Amino acid sequence: MAGMGNRVLAGTDRALDLLRELPRLSLSNIRSNPKAFKRNKRGRGQHGGKKHGAGNKGSGQRQNFMRLGYETGNNPFYLRVPKEPYYKGHHLRREYPPISLMQLQTLIDTGRLDTSKPIDLSALCNTKLFQLSPLENQYGFQLTDEGLDNFKGRVNIEVQYASEQVISAIERNGGVITTAFYDAPSLIAMRDPMKFFASGNPIPKRQMPPENAVEYYTDPKNRGYLADPDLIALERFKLAQKYGYELPDLKKDPELLPMMLERKDPRQIFFGLNPGWLVNLKDKKIFEPEDEQLLEYFRS
Amino acid sequence: MILSLYGAWQKNCGGAFPPKFKAPRQVWVSNMDTVEEEKLGLIDLHPEVFAERPRVDIIHENVRWQQLYRHVSYANTKMRYEVRGGGKKPRQQKGSGRSRHGSIRSPIWRGGGIVHGPRSPTPYFYMLGFNTRLNGLRSTLSAKLAQDDLHIVDSLDIPTDDPSYLEKLVEERGWGPAVLFVDDNDIMPLNITAASDSHGHYNLMPVYGLNVYSMLKHHTLVLTLAAVERLEERLLFHLNRNDAASAGQKYKLDSV
Repeated sequence: MAGMGNRVLAGTDRALDLLRELPRLSLSNIRSNPKAFKRNKRGRGQHGGKKHGAGNKGSGQRQNFMRLGYETGNNPFYLRVPKEPYYKGHHLRREYPPISLMQLQTLIDTGRLDTSKPIDLSALCNTKLFQLSPLENQYGFQLTDEGLDNFKGRVNIEVQYASEQVISAIERNGGVITTAFYDAPSLIAMRDPMKFFASGNPIPKRQMPPENAVEYYTDPKNRGYLADPDLIALERFKLAQKYGYELPDLKKDPELLPMMLERKDPRQIFFGLNPGWLVNLKDKKIFEPEDEQLLEYFRS
Repeated sequence: MILSLYGAWQKNCGGAFPPKFKAPRQVWVSNMDTVEEEKLGLIDLHPEVFAERPRVDIIHENVRWQQLYRHVSYANTKMRYEVRGGGKKPRQQKGSGRSRHGSIRSPIWRGGGIVHGPRSPTPYFYMLGFNTRLNGLRSTLSAKLAQDDLHIVDSLDIPTDDPSYLEKLVEERGWGPAVLFVDDNDIMPLNITAASDSHGHYNLMPVYGLNVYSMLKHHTLVLTLAAVERLEERLLFHLNRNDAASAGQKYKLDSV
């Protein structure tokens, strides 16, 4: 590399070129960065000894510590301040981690999301960029309006919450948006489908939303999955009028139309797979139940 | 394997992940049939694997980890309750004029127990981060190539099982005293196995056993074409996977 004309070596090339002049890299001439490994702090000698960091007298030196929050007798903070009802029931409220339209556009532009297939919670979790923890009351993703003006993607997306502006942004570009509810066991299955299939459990049937969510998911204005599709079409038209854009005709693209219209059944979790089916990844087989009772249960 | 002189073999450098930002490194492919070196052709090596910045600190971390994770310290000292004796109060509390004691094996006594001494067995196991281990391999391979200690051969088939054949071959080609031969398969050809058996400094290794310590310990690294392909495929897969975080997490039984 050295002496090959006027080329200036920089960065990695320079480092590799330097290595050519240096002795062979071996076990005896390598070392770590300074301060990479801490010296073991011994409680001996001038700097570690005498009182060993415990101070003088008191509960500290005698290793008989006061309880956490104790303020040596006066009314402590955690008793002084009364409870307020601001956070009552907060542990029962559902959380929806946000995904902005800007992030969505970036994912589409960099090829991390395939727009030729419907985008649902599984597709978003498969990018491994978003974490979802159903055990911490997280019930899915909400689509936020950051980057709304520059959103250009044409997608069939299913989220758990989207505001009116976001819905308009998706539909303005010829896309389709649906809001759907998933219960915790379904979310756990969707979050890591491969892990779920490897567990050997049959696909569960998705439960109906809780009482305080039924109104939201049956409202065509929110593009709820339980709403009447005809009313949803009407609301699409109304929204286009409200925000002043021409509603793109989905039928103009006959290749993409079946993909755009693809929606899940209210009891379905995965596209193309029904509840009750058992997927065997290793042998690449899918098993269906034959028992009447089971079939009735999963179909209901 | 793009062999430009005798080439009938084709390999896209990187396969699924062609090099984007750095130029591939070209290396001669030699033979093992004769003592003298015969160059069979040129191949391209992926720069993300073989031309990565040689991070000596990461190499050091890898070597330290390899040596330390299996180390168990068997040093032991007895605590005051383990030292023989010392159950009885040596003398009465008051009256003797001497200091008070409860046991002759307390830590302040000569021959008494040790308070914070080594306790056998003490493991020093830890797992180095996924990316640190990955980059350790990349850095070491790059350093080996940069310092002309990396050679590619077509296969490890040699004509005789005579140990002196290997000695002459290594001497003739100027390969270092210690040579590490790496192939894709873990069952090596009979001749080279027999020839290298008597030499402790000629070692055979499958690709899955490749590690930073062995590469540094041996002066020269000799890879077969199959080994290069497998190595590049595996390292590039791990570099470009999007779930590396989960690979580095602790295993939890029955985790959801």
